Amino acid sequence: MWYRRLARRVRALLHRADVERELAEEFRFHIEQEAAELARLHGLSPDEARRRALVAFGGVEKWRESHHDARGTRWLEESWHDVSFAVRSLRRNRGFASAVVLTLALGIGVNTAMFTLLHGTLLRPLPNHDGERLVYLRQSAPAAKHDNVLFSVPEIADYRAGAKTLSAIAEYSGAVPFTLVGSDGQPVRLRVGIVSGNYFSVMGLEPVLGRLTSARDDGAAAAPVAVLSYDYWMERFGGDPKVIGRTVRLNDMVVTIVGVVQRAPLYPRPTDIYANTVTSPHHLSATMVTDRSHRMSELFAHLAPNTTVEQARAEISRISSNLFRDHPEAYEKAAHYEIGVSQLRQAVNERAARMFWLLMGAAAFVLLIACANVANLTLMRGVGREREMLVRAALGAGTARLRRLLVMENLTLALIGGAIGVLVAFAGLKLLVAFAAQFSPRAYEVRVDAVVLGVGLATSIAAAFALSFIPRIGGDRALATSLAPVGRRSTLGRGRQRFQRSLVVAQIAVCMVLLTGAGLLVRTLAKLQSVDTGVHAEHVLTIDLPLQGDLLREVMKQPENLAKYERIRDRVAALPGVETASIGSTAPLRNSMADFDLKAEGRILPPNRPTPHAAMRTADTGYFAAAGIPLLAGRGFQSTDRRGSGLVVVLNQSFARQLFGDLNPVGQRIAWTGQVLKYTPFTGDWRTVVGIVGDTRDRGLDNDPTPTVYLPFAQEMILNGALVVRTSADPAELQAMIVRSIHDVAPRQLIEKVRTIDQIRDENVAPRRLNALFITSFGTLAFVIAMVGIAGVLAFSVSSRTAEIGIRMSLGADARRVRSMVLGEGGVLLAFGLTLGFAAALFAARLLRSLLFGVTPHDPVTLGGVALVLAAVGVAACWLPAARAARVDPAVALRAE
Amino acid sequence: MTQQTDLLQGTLDLLVLKTLTLGPLHGWGISKRIRQLSQDALDVGQGSLYPALYRLEDAGCIEATWGISAEGKRAKIYELTALGKKQFAKSQNQWQSFLTAVEHVLSAT
Repeated sequence: MWYRRLARRVRALLHRADVERELAEEFRFHIEQEAAELARLHGLSPDEARRRALVAFGGVEKWRESHHDARGTRWLEESWHDVSFAVRSLRRNRGFASAVVLTLALGIGVNTAMFTLLHGTLLRPLPNHDGERLVYLRQSAPAAKHDNVLFSVPEIADYRAGAKTLSAIAEYSGAVPFTLVGSDGQPVRLRVGIVSGNYFSVMGLEPVLGRLTSARDDGAAAAPVAVLSYDYWMERFGGDPKVIGRTVRLNDMVVTIVGVVQRAPLYPRPTDIYANTVTSPHHLSATMVTDRSHRMSELFAHLAPNTTVEQARAEISRISSNLFRDHPEAYEKAAHYEIGVSQLRQAVNERAARMFWLLMGAAAFVLLIACANVANLTLMRGVGREREMLVRAALGAGTARLRRLLVMENLTLALIGGAIGVLVAFAGLKLLVAFAAQFSPRAYEVRVDAVVLGVGLATSIAAAFALSFIPRIGGDRALATSLAPVGRRSTLGRGRQRFQRSLVVAQIAVCMVLLTGAGLLVRTLAKLQSVDTGVHAEHVLTIDLPLQGDLLREVMKQPENLAKYERIRDRVAALPGVETASIGSTAPLRNSMADFDLKAEGRILPPNRPTPHAAMRTADTGYFAAAGIPLLAGRGFQSTDRRGSGLVVVLNQSFARQLFGDLNPVGQRIAWTGQVLKYTPFTGDWRTVVGIVGDTRDRGLDNDPTPTVYLPFAQEMILNGALVVRTSADPAELQAMIVRSIHDVAPRQLIEKVRTIDQIRDENVAPRRLNALFITSFGTLAFVIAMVGIAGVLAFSVSSRTAEIGIRMSLGADARRVRSMVLGEGGVLLAFGLTLGFAAALFAARLLRSLLFGVTPHDPVTLGGVALVLAAVGVAACWLPAARAARVDPAVALRAE
Repeated sequence: MTQQTDLLQGTLDLLVLKTLTLGPLHGWGISKRIRQLSQDALDVGQGSLYPALYRLEDAGCIEATWGISAEGKRAKIYELTALGKKQFAKSQNQWQSFLTAVEHVLSAT
């Protein structure tokens, strides 16, 4: 039956004219019959009979309405009326409507954008099959400041054998550099992950093409195979399905491409190609397989059925404490080795989560402020409309109907605002993804989808409903008094006034919080930018010239490589415009490739202090001068510091102080030490300190200077080369010529990371700049909205008190007094807001701590500055309405009443 | 619109259904028959009758078709549906038990 009913209703709505006609016909028939009957019974004239019949029938219109009621379509018809009424009424109030739409668009837009970010990176489940049960294992040595030391082959075997809570453990190793020689013969550096055969099945990943690896790809006897990551396949092969079966040369080994893996977060690092262990001779070498401290692999695991992360954590911790006890040589006690087990979904977003939630919170605050402002606008408009509402109620419109009218109006506004907001979010998506990519490997998953649109819609609707229940409808004030000329005033009731004022106070407080956050981040940025990098030179260009092919083999070719690098250096140095060219293992301000434990001759370590650890870099004779690293004591390297001559080192200042304290380090001797050393081409021989140079911030501007030991480039094994070129003019202009001349000397040489020192520095600061930009724009947005809010409320208060002000003035108050009265009113709101905001900011800023550098969360300069700015602009915003109040002409004001 | 309690509205529906058990009728005929059957004690206002008819039609108790009245004019004729018959039987029982209940109350000494 329901479908017939529905059909009738649809007909009643769509064919309203037909239905009305039928209704009219039926009524006509009824009246005619009644008239005929009356005429027959009482002998009335036809006209009189018809009149009486009509009277008996009553108002035809009225009954028609009740028919709509009976039909159940009235609600819909009225809603349509309400919408068109809302649109008409808003058209008449364009200023109001556009203010509301804009404010809501900003609020909803910012929230949709942030939710898009949050949803794409944090909330959505991982694309991996059963991704919720994947865990990431991290071995760290906090006391030695190593946050991830990876796992060695014996360790992996122990955890595999011991852990019952983990159903499978997969290995990923990205520590070995790889080059791929393309079809054009030019080498390209690749990000290769050496994975165990079970990697993909443990990670729950599916191939989009071909096959993934399995247990038969493990071991030294397997054929070398590679699986492409989705992005690399798209980027390099344009998504060509014929790529399967093709071979590529990875470090001079011919490897067959067997498959392409689905898109998934690339964690812990971006990866172009996954290859099996056989492709990396290093991973198969005997030392790697047997030595517990030769750590190269990241571990991923799948939880066994019916176990939790906590259980796994407890079990791993039990196994690890046994290992630490049984193998003291591999786990230095003072370094406090430990193993973390965390859900992969969380590990992936370790850096992102806090930042994104923070931004989401800030966005919610902006929406809060926006809604408060719109509520205020609505409230003010509501006063003007209170009479309209009362009249309508008196004329028979039900309260519910009026409320519905308001809901429709606000819905119209909020939906338009929401639509604009979503469009804004859509437009900003690219920027958003770029921003997210700085923090989360899941940035590629950020997109505007149905869920995001749904949340945008829900936010709009929620805002509309919240706003619709603020103005009062009829009720406590009688129509008569409201209509009487004397009662014609437009003020809010006491309760409403208080509510309105609390909204303003809340706005200012929220503003204070946001601006404090913005201020702290901007100050962080400024501090970072003024950090002394330790590189005191202009016009310095750095170029990375890595070795290519299998590193172990390349390192053995030290004499050839040394000659090559020196030839390149000398050729570049001879170019016009180049002042000096030098070569070292790594460019300044970049991470070194190797770091080892170290001992100083005759110095005994206090107990419980971890062994000193330093980054190893090599430098030629001109390196320090070219990079502008000052020589503080002793000498730099000389051309006589070559293979076969006395072993010498130069220390950076902070490491020299750490090792030798106040002692003069020049002339002291140090030596590399530790288990790992025997697998490297470096010896533990004693080396004499010949000089001290200034510190450089190689691990980022926000990190302390790295303890660093420099060795002569010509005296040591070569792992890598980096050219440091100082030019007389802007190095950007010489860049092309320098690159060309490198290729003249070594046509197949990889050339990477061609950057000036300023550019490196800028890359370092860029993520912070984005942080600051985001929070600052939120803060500014909130600031503008709140200031418009306070000015609007005061202006409204002034205009509704014109008569009062008129009376005051006619009783002798002068313009100044009136002005300060209004200013005082605003000042109280400001003061309340600022006090509240100050307290909230003190609390909220602590959440920012990890993002700050050089400022404390309670930085008085920021807090004070923000409060001052807010107060100043707030007073300025109050000034306009105050000045208007002061200009009130008492005569005019009273007459108007 | 006149306020009607659910009870009275239910009663009107019952009366309409009852008249229609006697055969299909148009709106005016229904009001006239109620008047006759109640011996002029009940005069159903048109303002209540037509909404009731539409409500019953909407509920699927009666069905309307355009036909020719006894007077030879085009009129909307209402007819009871199977659901309507069932509904009538149910309503009649409810009404009877309601009457009995009221009687019990009133006759209490």
